[in-house]
Amino acid sequence: MNTKRKLINVVALTLCFLTALWGLFWLFFIIFDVLRHGILALTPSLLLKDPTPPGIPGGGLRHAIVGHLLITFCATLIGVPIGILGGTFLAEYGRGYKISKLISSLADIMISVPAIIVGAFVYAILVKPLGHFSGWAGSIALAIIMIPVIMRTTENMLSLIPWTLREAAFALGAPYYKVIIQIVYRGASTGILTGIILGVARVTGEAAPLLFTSFNNAYFSLNMNQPIASLTITIFQYAMGPYEDWHVQAWGASLIITSLILFLTLIGKSLIKRGFKD
Amino acid sequence: MTIEIEVKNLNFYYTGNILVLKNINIPIYKNKITALIGPSGCGKTTLLRCFNRMHDLYPGNRYEGEILFQGKNILSKTVDLIELRAKIGMVFQKPTPFPMSIFDNIAYGLRLRNIKNKKELKERVEKALIEAALWDEVKDKLYSSAMGLSGGQQQRLCIARAIAVEPEVLLFDEPTSALDPISTGKIEDLIVQLKNKITIVIVTHNMQQAARISDYTAFMYLGELIEFGPTEKIFTNPDYKLTEDYITGRFG
Amino acid sequence: MTSSFKREIFFNLAYLIITFLASFIIIFLALGIFLVLFKEAYPAIKTFGFLGFLLSTEWDPVKEVFGAAPSLIGTLITSLLALTIAVPTALGIAIFINEVAPSFLKDFISTGIELLAAIPSIIYGMWGLFTLAPLMAKYIEPFLQETIGKLPLIGKLFEGTPLGIDLLTASVILSIMIIPFTASVARDSLALTPPVLKESAYAIGATKWEVIKDVMLPYSKLGIIGGIGLSLGRALGETMAVAFVLGNVNKIPTSLLEASTTVTVKLANEFTEADKDIHLASLFYLALLLFIMSFFILALAKLLFLKIERR
Repeated sequence: MNTKRKLINVVALTLCFLTALWGLFWLFFIIFDVLRHGILALTPSLLLKDPTPPGIPGGGLRHAIVGHLLITFCATLIGVPIGILGGTFLAEYGRGYKISKLISSLADIMISVPAIIVGAFVYAILVKPLGHFSGWAGSIALAIIMIPVIMRTTENMLSLIPWTLREAAFALGAPYYKVIIQIVYRGASTGILTGIILGVARVTGEAAPLLFTSFNNAYFSLNMNQPIASLTITIFQYAMGPYEDWHVQAWGASLIITSLILFLTLIGKSLIKRGFKD
Repeated sequence: MTIEIEVKNLNFYYTGNILVLKNINIPIYKNKITALIGPSGCGKTTLLRCFNRMHDLYPGNRYEGEILFQGKNILSKTVDLIELRAKIGMVFQKPTPFPMSIFDNIAYGLRLRNIKNKKELKERVEKALIEAALWDEVKDKLYSSAMGLSGGQQQRLCIARAIAVEPEVLLFDEPTSALDPISTGKIEDLIVQLKNKITIVIVTHNMQQAARISDYTAFMYLGELIEFGPTEKIFTNPDYKLTEDYITGRFG
Repeated sequence: MTSSFKREIFFNLAYLIITFLASFIIIFLALGIFLVLFKEAYPAIKTFGFLGFLLSTEWDPVKEVFGAAPSLIGTLITSLLALTIAVPTALGIAIFINEVAPSFLKDFISTGIELLAAIPSIIYGMWGLFTLAPLMAKYIEPFLQETIGKLPLIGKLFEGTPLGIDLLTASVILSIMIIPFTASVARDSLALTPPVLKESAYAIGATKWEVIKDVMLPYSKLGIIGGIGLSLGRALGETMAVAFVLGNVNKIPTSLLEASTTVTVKLANEFTEADKDIHLASLFYLALLLFIMSFFILALAKLLFLKIERR
């Protein structure tokens, strides 16, 4: 009778092991595939040249790489300060108030709201009234996705700083805003940095919110008031397109973006681990 | 007097080769209550958890020496832990009702032993609840969640759950430290009742409790067994000054 | 002295207001998205009504008749099928990492699963199109047709020519995407089981699996359900991973091996090409329905987590 129970035990736990293998199998399968195809496409001209007209081989993705960096950079400029300031309210001035609990819960929901909805929203408030797609619209869409991520991480990281530390600073006669900026931020700096890195990693791979905002551009452009190419949208266009050469470049772009994001994510996670060890 | 469990030259190491029990030798007599006392960190709970090999749940722990239970060494690698733990039950410091109904809590261990017959299950659950002096309080709500009981009731439920599978030894790890005095009294009475059928080992911080209910007392200090003997002797005429100092409250 | 004191009060107040406004942006966004989508969708709401839009299967930009049924059904089928594949897997992974794996494997596997979550959805989509879809068409779908396909009733779901561009492939990709979320929430929930509760189950002679099944899973039930809700919310709104492998075919599917569409796929494909106002408004209407659906499910999941926190 116990033998049967032990058998069930072994079988069930083995199944759990197999599910873990199954998960890892996909990870390696995808990464291996992106690497295999991408490495062939990763030539200097992919990074340094702009595209040739459709169907004509050659050219590169310089326009999309630069455009992608530009959009993401501007999104970070908008999203990070708002996220950190908002998180500060939730963890400091608003601590314990119903309103901050509500905002914090709402932020959690907004983190998972479909990215394409954000794209449609920005389309309606910016693109449609102005009459054209623009890099700014793309940055704002990404910023909207980034803000709740950074806000929640900041809130969590600030809450980890012991309250007694703030009291010690109050006891010296420091006003609250100085306590926050000079003591609390400093104590939580690694955590906030982690939040920023993970927030940036999160939006770097987004394509859906850019579809209707920054749209696409076959030419090199730095004008944020005009449509700008991005790596993700280019992947979408090239992979769905009919030319073999496009497919190869799409794999190249995938490799660039995947390695960038996995790199950022690993840094973020290792910062978290180190933070908890201290 | 029969020896139910005999600890021989037991050393125990936590992960990282930290020696926490040093050369312990102690007999546990059948159908008696043995109390393990000593200041925090002396190793009494660690020793208790050796008897049902609870330490095996966490990797890196290591035993040396022997613990003979009915003549067989339970530290041997070939021992079936599931069977061992069925024979040597345990009640914890805090009540630990499972997230299920009162009935199912007690039936759980029985079902594990393949008792599926409804009538038999019912009888044995009732018997265990009566023995744990809880029957009258819960007989009308057997199928409601065990989480709704008071702390003292939950702890008696845990005792009922442990005795339902008819163990030969029952280990108590400070079973009353989270309870109020009235609940504590009920549980002490219960433990004394139980010794007619079961051998009992109890870890306690409460000296009066040890004196009230135990037949034998072991005093431990810094991982070593300082003194073991009949409770009366330990409390009135201990051999060692350390024991006397602890019992009279000079440290601990 | 007093002037510097006043200045400090002023700065403090200013900082309070700035941070408050920054956090208030979240409420502004949540409400704003709802109102803006509603306003943009209004022409379509007025023309087709609620049930009329929901139940109509037509989507014809030429005749200017629009209905949501096919894309909503496609969204539900892909999401639910993905959950069916992902939830047992994710639970297994969570249990393995928390309870079974030796410590050196624990870090390796959990990092691996976290990385799986970090891979952008566009990569999943493209990989699905170029790698998974051909595999599905050549091996897996014919195999399924030969086995499950022969069964009565269920067999109907596997009829048709296996092309790889279909509901099944989209669901498989979606399931791989949501496994990490579900697994991570399930891990956190399982880890909340008090060690002493586990010990007391071991102490009456339960095996590890019995402890997991009878004590840990019931104890962490709420959290796991919340995690499933969170994953469902994500799956409903996922765009790029399914856009590559689902086609954009506006009809109610009768088999899992048919190309289909979802709300998100329709938006991605038609939004920038809609040249008639009512077409665009109908797309906004779809977006509004999707927003309400996923917001509602995510909010329920959040409420569950809040309930657990209070426990």
